[in-house]
Formats: sequence, C-alpha cells, structure tokens
Amino acid sequence: MPAVTTAESPTRGLPVEFKDLSKHFGTVKAVDNLAFTVEPGRVTGFLGPNGSGKTTTLRMLLGLVRPSSGEATVGGQRYRDIPNPSGKVGAVLEATSFHPSRRARTHLRMVARAGGHDEARADVVLELVGLPGDAKRKVGGFSMGMRQRLELASALIGDPDVLILDEPSNGLDPQGIAWLRDFMRYLAGEGRTVLVSSHLLSEMAQTIDNAVIISHGRLMAQGSLESITAGYTQQSMQARTPEADRLCDVLNGAGMKFRRLGHDLVGIDGVKPEVVGPLLASNQIVLYELLNQGADLESIFLELTSGLGFGETGKPS
Amino acid sequence: MINAVRSELLKMRTMPGVWVCFGLAFPLTVLIMWAIFAGAGGEAGHTYSYVQTLNDRRVLLGAGYFSITFLAPITGVICITSEYRQKTITNTLVFTPIRSRVLGAKIVVTAYWAILMALLTLVITMTVGVFWDVQLGGSVSSVLGQAGAVVPGLIGASILLALFGLGFGVLVKNQVAGILITIGTVFVLENILVALARGVLHYNLNWLPSDAAGALAGAVSKGGFGGGGHNGGGPYSSLLHWWQGGLVMLAWGLVPLIIGYFTTFRRDVT
Repeated sequence: MPAVTTAESPTRGLPVEFKDLSKHFGTVKAVDNLAFTVEPGRVTGFLGPNGSGKTTTLRMLLGLVRPSSGEATVGGQRYRDIPNPSGKVGAVLEATSFHPSRRARTHLRMVARAGGHDEARADVVLELVGLPGDAKRKVGGFSMGMRQRLELASALIGDPDVLILDEPSNGLDPQGIAWLRDFMRYLAGEGRTVLVSSHLLSEMAQTIDNAVIISHGRLMAQGSLESITAGYTQQSMQARTPEADRLCDVLNGAGMKFRRLGHDLVGIDGVKPEVVGPLLASNQIVLYELLNQGADLESIFLELTSGLGFGETGKPS
Repeated sequence: MINAVRSELLKMRTMPGVWVCFGLAFPLTVLIMWAIFAGAGGEAGHTYSYVQTLNDRRVLLGAGYFSITFLAPITGVICITSEYRQKTITNTLVFTPIRSRVLGAKIVVTAYWAILMALLTLVITMTVGVFWDVQLGGSVSSVLGQAGAVVPGLIGASILLALFGLGFGVLVKNQVAGILITIGTVFVLENILVALARGVLHYNLNWLPSDAAGALAGAVSKGGFGGGGHNGGGPYSSLLHWWQGGLVMLAWGLVPLIIGYFTTFRRDVT
C-alpha cells in the first residue's frame, strides 16, 4: 500500500450520525426513521438488499437528496454546512460520473479546483489508487475497475477524514476487490471513518469491523460484527451432495429450514451437526461435504432482510 | 464561489462540444463575409467588391453575429446539460453542495465563453475579412474604424444569447431537447410567431429572443447589423432600442434560469 502523503494521528476521523432520517418518494417510504452512528477508525458495512434504501441514505448524507425528516451529520454538521466539505468527506457514489473525453488527471484537477485543494494532489491520489500510468488517458477508455479506482481517487483528493463508499466493489475483478479491501482497512487504520455500502456479504464479512443492516429503509441490526453474530445462536451448515433433491425432501419431512444454494449444494439453518448427521445417515444420503458455518453474516442478513424467519420452513427452489 | 468558477472553467475547456461550437464559428463567419462581399458590388450580387457603405463595414465587422445567434445558446445549453448527460452532476454537487453556487459559477463561465466566442468571430472578421476587403480594393482603416460601434453590442448579445441557452438547459436538463428547443425557438418558432403577429394581429412582435439580441447588437451599429431584414421593412418590423433589447434578452435568459433553478435544478439527485 503506497504511503499517504499527509499521515496524521489515528484519531483524525469524524463520527457520522444519522438521526431519525426518513425519505418518502410519494407514497413509497425509501428510508424510515433510520438512526445510527458510524465510528471513526473502523470500517462500517452498510448492508441491505437492493432497494433497501442504502443509496438514498448516503445521498441524503451528502445533500444530494433532501430528507423528508431527520438529518444526517458529519462531525455534528450537515454536509452542506461544512466549509470545504471535500476536505472532510470523500464520497464514491457511482463509477459512471465522468466525462468520457476527459483525461484522468484533468478530471482530478477539476475536482481539486472545486474543492479548493492543491491540483498537485491529482498525481498523488492517482499513485494512491494504482493509476499513475493512466493519468493522461481518457476516462472513456477505462475499464469499470479503473473507473472505480478513479472515483476513489476523486474522493481522496481532499485527504478527507471520512470516506463514504456506495457499492465500491461493483465491476472490480477479484484482484481489485482484494486491493479495495486492503485499502479500506488501511484508511481506517489511519483513524479515518469508513462507511461502505454493499450487498456482497461474503466480501464484506472479510472487510468490516462494524455492520449496519437495513431492510425496507428500516434499521434491522447494528454493532460490531462480533456482537451481531454473537446475538444469533442459530447454526448454519452447507451440505454438498449428488442427491440434493432427496436431501431437500428429507429436510422438509423433518421440518428443518434449508436453502437450495446450487444443484448439489443445500444450506441448512437452525440445527446442529449432531442432529443433521444422524438424520442423513439414517436416510442413506451420500455426502461429499458437510460444512458447519455457525451463525454467519449471510444467514443473519437473510433472516433480517428477507422477512423469512428461521422459524419458518424454506421451500426448495 | 471562486473554486466553483475555476473548476467550471476547466470543465468547459475540456468539453469537446464547446470546441465544436468554436470550430463551426470560423466557417460560418467566413461564409457570411463571402455573402457580404458578393452583394457589395452589385444589386444582384454578381460582382464581388470591397464594402463601401458605413453600414456594410459594420455588417462585415459583425459578420460573426449569425454564428453567435445559434452557437452561443448551444454553448450555454451544453454547459449545464452535459452534467446530466454524462452524470457528472453527482460529483459536481458533492464537491460544491450549495446549488446556487454551482449555478452562479455556470453563469459566469457561460458568459466568459460567450465573450471568447464573440472575440473569436471579431478576430476572424478583423483579419480574414479585412484582408479580403483590402484584396478587393478596400482599406484597412475603413473597416477597423467601426470596431467601437460593433464590438460592445456583439459581445453583449453573445453573453445574453448564451445565458438564454443556459436557462433552457437548466429547465429541460436533456441536452438534445435543450439544443432543439433553443435553436427551434430562435430560428423556427420565432419566425412563425413574428409572421403570424404581423399578418393576423398587425402587431410588431419584436421582443422574441433573436430580435431582442439583434436590437442589442444592431442598434450599436446604427441599424442593419444584427437586425437583418426587419429594419426598415415596414411599420411592424422595427427593432427595440438597444437597451430595451438587452433587457428583454436578459429576461429571456433569467426567467427560464430562475424557473429551472426552483424546479429541476433543486430536485433530488438520485
């Protein structure tokens, strides 16, 4: 990870607060009385299914969408009231927010000017996101992954204390995702506040310290990843078998909760391996693998956001 | 505000559409000059000649007015609609969250580029036009001597036409629609309305955009330049005074700008 030019104390971040934030689009409640705080020095995952209100919430924070009620603040101030806001908050919202005929460095010089920052920062942040050789290239020729990196460079132009990232791993290849994960951890390690929205749970589980889970615009859970998973005692297992259909029938007959994850893969929720194992053995189901995952982020997320509680029986899809 | 203006200046400078407008200004201005020389020496334009009357000298110097009439509004439209077309409005508002500040910067930058466009056409007429005129037998001083009478009106009209385009761009947000509405208003709708007003209502409809801009530019050159055929064409064809034309043109720019600001521009960016 390249060195950041302006290393400051690890306490440089600012808290981001959402206070009873609501947004209605006509009769649709996109965000409903959302209240939580994002702490500095940690990577906080803002998780929710598509259409759950994540983007609307972040856009309200940045003054792009006007809240119906409540407010969102950074360090106690509304974004639009912060003098020179890009020096405090950097945002990655969409990787398509570029003029295709503009060169990468020109784009960054432009946002540096808008934020009142030194234009020389353009080359610094290009180096930081791994695009130093593409400074003179037109953005129209960039891949989605390169655009994401450039968007991140834009967000970092003012060396902000708070970073807001909306689905930043969209379009990134596995190397890019791994790079982004390290980068976010690196920034949080400097004491910055990092809030990242995503629906890629397995990826987020490896990255975040804290999680905020929303569904239908409402807060479902928040806290450290450990505290959230500790609150759920339900077991989750994955069984790989050439007899997936028959396994589903057996689980259904035994009243167990399950999810069909693939043609030979079934997720079994809410029971211990000591219960499942004998059941499968007594029905002579061939197993290639039985993996005990405990209470993972994905199963918690699904329970909280799908409206399908663990007490209900899933149907094979 | 200064940061926003500096950013908008760079933004416009790196926008191909703006340079296309500037590129078109050259051949269009030369074309108009050719027409002036073609008509200067004979009644039917059979003979090319240097410009001989005071009015013709001013018309030659202000030959860029025709290209400005539609290229300046297009520049104004592009200034704002490219933000929505390329979705750069999100970044713009993240870096400058106070929207009135963004719009203020765009007004300043649009005016700046409109001045540059007017100056470009003047450079063309003062170099190519004068050289051409001298080749046909005219003198350098006879044309350049009229600069003081032409330049202020030409620049003023260019600024206000560009703001007119910016206003419609803010209002409609869609680039193609903005250009079509602006150009359609100036070149099609206005002519139809003027003709209908004259023919049916016997009313001199001289406060529409191109006539208002023409009044501002034309009055400075004592009639003729910018006014086209409307001047001296009868009781229903006279242009407004230059200051009236300027005020009317300012209103044509500001009214859609203000309506657009309070309707489309302040809306949520989702």
